[in-house]
Amino acid sequence: MSEPALDFNPGPTKSFLAEVIERSGQPLTACYQCRRCAAGCSVGDETDNLTPNILIRMVVLGDRDRALNNALVWKCVSCYTCGTRCPNDIQTARITETLKKMGKAEHVEPLEPQIADFHDAFVKSGLRWGRVNEMEFMGAYEMKFALRKIREKDYGAIIDELKNQGRLGMEMTRRKRMHFGFLMAKGRNEIKALQRKSKQRAR
Amino acid sequence: MQLAYYPGCSLQQSSALYDVQSRRIFSELGADLNEIEDWNCCGATSAGKVDDFMAVAMPARNIGIAEQAGFAEMVIPCAACYSRTLVAQQRMADDPALQTTINAELGRPVNGTLKVSSILEALAALIAQGALKDRVVHKLTGLHPVCYYGCMMTRFPCTVPVPDDVENPQGMETVLKALGIRATDWNYKTACCGASAVVNDPDTAHNLMAKIMKDAVARGANCFVVTCPMCQMNLDVQQDEFCRRHGIEERLPVFFITEIIGAAMAIAPSELQTDRHFVDGTTLLKELEQHDEQSQ
Repeated sequence: MSEPALDFNPGPTKSFLAEVIERSGQPLTACYQCRRCAAGCSVGDETDNLTPNILIRMVVLGDRDRALNNALVWKCVSCYTCGTRCPNDIQTARITETLKKMGKAEHVEPLEPQIADFHDAFVKSGLRWGRVNEMEFMGAYEMKFALRKIREKDYGAIIDELKNQGRLGMEMTRRKRMHFGFLMAKGRNEIKALQRKSKQRAR
Repeated sequence: MQLAYYPGCSLQQSSALYDVQSRRIFSELGADLNEIEDWNCCGATSAGKVDDFMAVAMPARNIGIAEQAGFAEMVIPCAACYSRTLVAQQRMADDPALQTTINAELGRPVNGTLKVSSILEALAALIAQGALKDRVVHKLTGLHPVCYYGCMMTRFPCTVPVPDDVENPQGMETVLKALGIRATDWNYKTACCGASAVVNDPDTAHNLMAKIMKDAVARGANCFVVTCPMCQMNLDVQQDEFCRRHGIEERLPVFFITEIIGAAMAIAPSELQTDRHFVDGTTLLKELEQHDEQSQ
């Protein structure tokens, strides 16, 4: 007996779709698969033909595991081309951003962990000090990268990364594009209070 | 003319040259940029991927600071900071409950009166008032720039009052025209450079930038003009690398719009820190100036 093309389970499907609509603010059910988003996607060459319209259909059909963790969700650079061109005003980049956060909340190991690490390190630096310190957040990012590669026993990748970033750092310094002072905002307590509020709201 | 000014983190660090240039050019054009007090990070493009509430709350604090200091308009040269701040303002206007929630934690709450301007809007307004009259010294004949807008100047995650055409923006072309410079038309003006993918997914970013570079070269451009520090940094710093990988021989300097205005007004490139580029731009500017002087 052949396998069914799709296991349709209406209860969880509806609640997954409702959650993505609610959190992203995007009217996913308005998509009629015209593929204007697919035609303009900046990272269309990088996503194994997983175009924004297909991602929308995945969510609508309740294909939860694939929707939460795929090449488009992680390769999407939030250029917002798809949404700007959508005849139904669906901003798919907001959907990829939402699926990243939902995946994280459910402890799904990201398909591209270094991309998740980068955004985490950046936002943490901004929240901690009130301003982002490039050297600090890049240091935190590179540390996570190295630890992951040690776990994977991929020591060559660490050496390559060190070489590349070291060379870049030296070139940046030579051209006075590197900043060695530390940035901080006095009002970072307000930022921290807002962050606490954000956590309460997420609960 | 007094304008509030939000530099953002990038303009205090790797793109400090853009801060120097913005302050200088606006002051030459008769507008004072007043850096708002104790501003914080806008969250950039990362916040929207990590925490939606903070993506609005972080720029909100800066808007409140500018409003409470009595400013009617705030100029934000960094394209990402501009986009995030404009979007945060719109989100609060659309959702008063969200604004109330955020305001409860702010010493200087938002009331929603501030006009958030990109550098191009602010420059266009000054030029329309005649600020460039009799100020153009060098015609820079032979400069064939392609104007590269990237993503953040025209495309937004929600509906905001966009000041320029989404698919074919003209803000930079308008400024250049006022200097007597005709921009070269091309196809990739609103393409994406990959932004932070250059760090966390370099192959993708290099593929994107190679396409941009190839079109600029094919059109006969001899430089890029940009307003986004991320675009400038990527196209400038990574140019050798992505050109080598994609078999591109040519190299093109990547100028901020402020550097071209400065060159036309005969401000020395060193004063605008144009000598801090990776792909040399000072030689081209010097050649064009000499050419102008000889032809006079």
